[in-house]
Amino acid sequence: MRVDFVKAIEGVLASDPRSMFVTGDLGYSALEGVAATYGRRFLNAGVAEQNMVGVAAGLALSGMRPWVYSIAPFATYRCLEQIRNDVCMHRLPVRIAGNGGGYTYGIMGATHHALEDLAVLRPLPNMQLFFPCSNDHVAGAVAQMSELDGPAYIRLAISPYTTPVAPLSEQPRTLTRQYAARRNPKAPSVTIVGIGHGVQIALRALASGGLAAENVDVFGVARFPWDFVADAALLQSVVESGNVISVEEHYADAGMGESLRAALPPTRSFRILAASYSPGQRYGSPAFHLQQCGLTPEALIHAVHAVLR
Amino acid sequence: MSDTALFHSLREEALAVRRKFLRMHFEARAGHLGTGLSDIDILVYLHKVWLAEGDQFILSKGHGASSLYATLHHFGRLSDEDFATYYKDGTLLPAHPAPGALEAIPAATGSLGHGLPIAAGLAYAHKYIHQTQRRVACLVSDGECNSGSLWEAALFAGHHRLDNLTVIVDANGLQGFGRTKDVLDLEPLVDKWRAFRFRCEDVDGHDFSRLHQALRRAPDGSPTCIVARTVKGKGVALMENKLEWHYLPMSEEQYASALEDLAEAERRLKQP
Repeated sequence: MRVDFVKAIEGVLASDPRSMFVTGDLGYSALEGVAATYGRRFLNAGVAEQNMVGVAAGLALSGMRPWVYSIAPFATYRCLEQIRNDVCMHRLPVRIAGNGGGYTYGIMGATHHALEDLAVLRPLPNMQLFFPCSNDHVAGAVAQMSELDGPAYIRLAISPYTTPVAPLSEQPRTLTRQYAARRNPKAPSVTIVGIGHGVQIALRALASGGLAAENVDVFGVARFPWDFVADAALLQSVVESGNVISVEEHYADAGMGESLRAALPPTRSFRILAASYSPGQRYGSPAFHLQQCGLTPEALIHAVHAVLR
Repeated sequence: MSDTALFHSLREEALAVRRKFLRMHFEARAGHLGTGLSDIDILVYLHKVWLAEGDQFILSKGHGASSLYATLHHFGRLSDEDFATYYKDGTLLPAHPAPGALEAIPAATGSLGHGLPIAAGLAYAHKYIHQTQRRVACLVSDGECNSGSLWEAALFAGHHRLDNLTVIVDANGLQGFGRTKDVLDLEPLVDKWRAFRFRCEDVDGHDFSRLHQALRRAPDGSPTCIVARTVKGKGVALMENKLEWHYLPMSEEQYASALEDLAEAERRLKQP
């Protein structure tokens, strides 16, 4: 997603003179072009994330619309109070980009994983969260963020289960994509909700044929807070199926599945497939971590069977 | 106006702001008296002399909000209606500045270490993006110089040669739960700012002639810092240099005694 993000950002910088790009010393072999082209509108704030976000708030107070970029955990946790006080409370148009959400950084280890970024940012005042489902979803998210008058966060991530499946539809306001539709709305069914790139697990499950016999809707959601006026199709699916399985590369506690459950009317069943570490956790690729915590296409297929069979 | 006349009138205005400030706190039964009395001379100087059209002031030591409210009201930048609501239910003037509440206060503060990064961001934008002559002043407390984010911002300001940024440290030597030198000794504080590429001077923060001299400087590629040596509770004998006046409200007797101190200062000021 980083390549798609940088490409989209280059478009924003070229078209909106209020936009700026501020990095926390990240961007090697990605941001050199932006640095060379935009002069003082490109700013490497160094390894000083608290100051970076405070500076971005000052830039925004002067009328600019800065993007702030780092690895997801560094762009969020270290500077959380600056995001809360300086940016969100003032409803400033600061756009924070966290690269490598979830287990994307894999073997780099636990400090580089971000499994609670959405949880900590979600309740902040005026904050909008974006989590594209796939690389070709990034440009739309960046375009929406660049129009906002208030703060936003985008989580960029790579799924080892990335599967090219064309969506059946995309909701223009929320960017919610529907990837599969129930064959028989009257028969028992499950609504699968992939949180951002978590939907790739569902797409791999679909592609594997493991859900071929099942009556499922598959949605990929990418913008929060939830908007069930725009996402009436998702709401209708849940009301009709009464069974929800959400999938997210993020902790279950305070995660988006939990938030979805709270936002929806009561359902017959609601299963959250989410990330976790185990006691004595060992480290490896993103795929290794997803296997370790049972966040896999096989686990999703099993969860669907458990509801419908 | 000659400098002598200017300093005389600044002393009179600072007395008026102190009187207003004490009345606000007495009526509201609010604490944070010591910190306000230590920075009122600096605030009065900035608002009467230093801040030009378009310049901005960031109160990074948010617990000094009431002294800023009193100063803004004194100089006609805060309405009587808003000012009368200080500390009351429904006010826009809580004990620490609120976000987006007053045009004269660009940023809400109260958690220390936030104001200088914001001020540095503003200064960077004015100098390099908008390319204007607008300046930014930021008042920090000495206790606040414990925080890492302040020094991150100092590094940033020095590196980017933000000569439109002026930091004033209200160095009253007391912080939340002790003397600054006993909690986390900051000295040599002037050397620290100089090491971060600031032009830094050590001045008496209650001496208008010294503040005037130190703050009237042409841009030369370095940000400015003034370590203003102040007295917490300045002007009220029973509060001067006492930690507890970070927290306590005044009794009626204490308020009367404080007003008597100000009246005595005014008598001295009026003597030829």
